[in-house]
Amino acid sequence: MTQVVDPTVSKAKFKREIREFQTLEAEYRKRGWFLVHAEFPKVLVVLAAPQLNPPALVTGVAFDYTNYDAEPPAVRLVNPFTAEPYPAAKLPTQLLRAVPGEEFTLPGLPPGARVMSQQALVQFHSPDDVPFLCIAGVREYHQHPGHSGDLWELHRATGAGRLVRLLEIIYKYGVQSIAGYNVTLVPQVNFQVGQVPE
Amino acid sequence: MAQVDITVVVNGQPTVVRANPEAPLETIIPKALEQTGNTGQPPDNWELRDAAGTLLDVRQKIESFHFPPNVHLFLNLKAGVGG
Repeated sequence: MTQVVDPTVSKAKFKREIREFQTLEAEYRKRGWFLVHAEFPKVLVVLAAPQLNPPALVTGVAFDYTNYDAEPPAVRLVNPFTAEPYPAAKLPTQLLRAVPGEEFTLPGLPPGARVMSQQALVQFHSPDDVPFLCIAGVREYHQHPGHSGDLWELHRATGAGRLVRLLEIIYKYGVQSIAGYNVTLVPQVNFQVGQVPE
Repeated sequence: MAQVDITVVVNGQPTVVRANPEAPLETIIPKALEQTGNTGQPPDNWELRDAAGTLLDVRQKIESFHFPPNVHLFLNLKAGVGG
């Protein structure tokens, strides 16, 4: 993406994001947040899950603050080792969020009962797509034709594109909610051959 | 009762808020937003968490949390409607 905003402005705002993160770096590290690269306009933060035993690196998050804050940052979930964006099929987390589902009526339940359904905050059309974060404050969200009514300008002054705010959301829905490891064992049974006859 | 100082980190930006310990925790939210210039969204659109990321019940009195002297609380804009 081409920098069209005065680079002095974007760089100053970028530096503020990094400086504020570094001020509280020790607090963030306890949560498993590691700022591993910051050079305008790019930031790479790795999110780990310290609540697991052994702890796990869950995902990297790559930010691109080109043209900030005339435009929001681009945000991608990336492989924490290679910084390559995850295609949808390989996402370690889809940032699931519980939302109230439709009302329904069943015998024995009060009228208007609701079930909670799950909504993914990452969106994609095919398993090979690089998904985008479907929240205000993210460039890909505001560029999507489905969100043309929710302009970045409506969110810009609220800090919606700020580094820590976006990390908080990714952490809350993608990392903090991880309670343990899912282990799938696939036993295989076949014949153990004894002495092979001549 | 003496006022207490609480460091509130608003979207990553720290600010110190002076508060009445007998008041509900939610009273620090508008002050923190005003001090950091985050006036574009109502206080209901923000959520307050401790350093471990635990969502705090802001209706409780501040003194009931027994915060240590150098506590940092984290105030962040909610995700809003996604999808």
